Amino acid sequence: MPVIARVHEANARLPLLKWAGALLVVALWAVLPALASRSVTDMLVFTALYSIAGLGVSFLLGQCGIVSLAQSVFYGVGAYSTAYCCVQLGWPSAAGLLVGIGISAVVAVAVGWPILRLSGYFLALATLALAIIGHVLFLEWDWLTGGTLGIGGIPPLSFMDYQLNSPQRFYYLVWPIAAALLWFHANLLRSRNGLAMRAMRDAPAAAAVLGVNIRILKVRMFVLSAVLGSLAGSLFAHYVSFVSVDSFGVDRAINFLLLAVLGGAKTIVGTVLGALFITIVPNALSRFGDIHAVLFAACLIAAVIFLPDGFGGAIARLTARMRAGDSRS
Amino acid sequence: MTGTLILQSALAGITNGFVYALIGLGLAVVFRGTRIINAMQGEFALIGGMVAYVLLNRFGLPLSLAFLCGALAGGALGWLIELTLVRPTRKRGASEEGYLLLTLGIAFAISAGVLYFFGRDARILPGIGGEGSQILFDAAIRTHAIWLIVISGAVMLALRFFYTGTLIGLSMMAASIDEDGAATTGINVPRMRSLTFLLGGSVGGLAGVLVSPLITIQYEMGLLLTLKGFAAAILGGLTNPFGAVIGGLTLGIVESLAVLTVSSGYKDVIAMTILIVIMIVLPDGILGRRLRRGG
Repeated sequence: MPVIARVHEANARLPLLKWAGALLVVALWAVLPALASRSVTDMLVFTALYSIAGLGVSFLLGQCGIVSLAQSVFYGVGAYSTAYCCVQLGWPSAAGLLVGIGISAVVAVAVGWPILRLSGYFLALATLALAIIGHVLFLEWDWLTGGTLGIGGIPPLSFMDYQLNSPQRFYYLVWPIAAALLWFHANLLRSRNGLAMRAMRDAPAAAAVLGVNIRILKVRMFVLSAVLGSLAGSLFAHYVSFVSVDSFGVDRAINFLLLAVLGGAKTIVGTVLGALFITIVPNALSRFGDIHAVLFAACLIAAVIFLPDGFGGAIARLTARMRAGDSRS
Repeated sequence: MTGTLILQSALAGITNGFVYALIGLGLAVVFRGTRIINAMQGEFALIGGMVAYVLLNRFGLPLSLAFLCGALAGGALGWLIELTLVRPTRKRGASEEGYLLLTLGIAFAISAGVLYFFGRDARILPGIGGEGSQILFDAAIRTHAIWLIVISGAVMLALRFFYTGTLIGLSMMAASIDEDGAATTGINVPRMRSLTFLLGGSVGGLAGVLVSPLITIQYEMGLLLTLKGFAAAILGGLTNPFGAVIGGLTLGIVESLAVLTVSSGYKDVIAMTILIVIMIVLPDGILGRRLRRGG
């Protein structure tokens, strides 16, 4: 009896701790830009942008078992749509954003329908090939994208004459968006579709027998991921006000996949941790000079070997162990 | 468009095709022995080319010796990576994606390392037979390109013999097809895996030294080379060395005809589109399943 009572007690204490923790995180988040320097805030804005785009990749990988190295394409489509619509056509920001999302969704259906029947290495390499195709097209279609010169002078986002033209101001826009999307995905995970996805990932044949239309579900998830990529790309274009082909290379696609893997694709919060890693670590390493790229790659290799299910997975295991320890004592 | 022009570009395509075939052969070697798609195959070529360049220009070694050392450097690197990185990953039970990310990460590290130590400059090696070229009908082909084709063909035949006619080649195959069975017959499975990477790395290094007189070597070249080699290997059915050559040639010729008819800027788009289409339509390669297992 006492053991069970203690378990109940521990369980009752846990939500309280959770709320307190969440409150602390939110408070910390709110005051951070006031305390941190401009460059740190800038880095945190990028963390949020990468979290949004990376969430698409992470969700595909962790819940559907789809490896996507093509997120840089959708990130680029979003950024160029915003740049072209706002600068060349003079349309409002919302139009650019929606055009980007529309094009990305159409491309995702057109490309996803044929390639999502592949799996494993083949799918990964097919999406990597897509990233290369996207990069070349961004470069070659210079009438649309400005080629290597890029498109500059993209106006900052503004709400009723209040311009989001500093990292601090943008920070307070982009993080709530990222948080809302994370929350949406956490809910999606618990929905009927979420269950169908995990069934499809773990036992495709069984899922098909139970009436899950695997092909359509995969394409839908791919479209959702593309939309997230495009949204992040549009926000990125507004934030930096200049886009060029260098931002949408294969290395960006690989970074998005790496953040998903590092963060732990099976957990939603892991994405943010992964995004933090790929923005902060290269920055911190850059004071070692030119060797920082080698060091960063070494970190990645170490993470792949030692944390196969990422930071999120490591934390989940740790809390599970703590909880088990709590109930045993 | 004259006949000479078409012939000229076809010859260029054939030369490139053999380069892709060599990379594809290396990928196929690693895949056969370990069931890993090695995303750093192009980096083996990069290292092979760079080592040959340094030995030639800084230490004044003769060309043939520098080429040999370049190929061996690729092999040594492959062996080292298997021992220090791939083996621990296997012990922790990695998935396909895990291996892909691991090899991609290593490819990054190698590329960044080359950038750090050698800079951004593109380098070029002198070819076998110098700058000389042969006239074939009306078109010219570099003497080195002919050597490249001959050596690639020899490597293909040697690999075919290696896997069907030598004890060690058969042991390697056995170790990858049935790990436990191979171990019970006394095959040292981990050693076979190391040897697989040694062999794959050497083929990659050889590709590097053979390609660097034709196209410049530079820190970024690895990934695209890997993908094109993969396209060649997939076209041929991944495990068949003969197939990699057919696949490489198809890819090379289509690519160079595309340059002729469309635009050189879209060369990689066309190659990558071919890769995607082949994977979807012909997952067993153009030779089909019947020839896939053989040789």
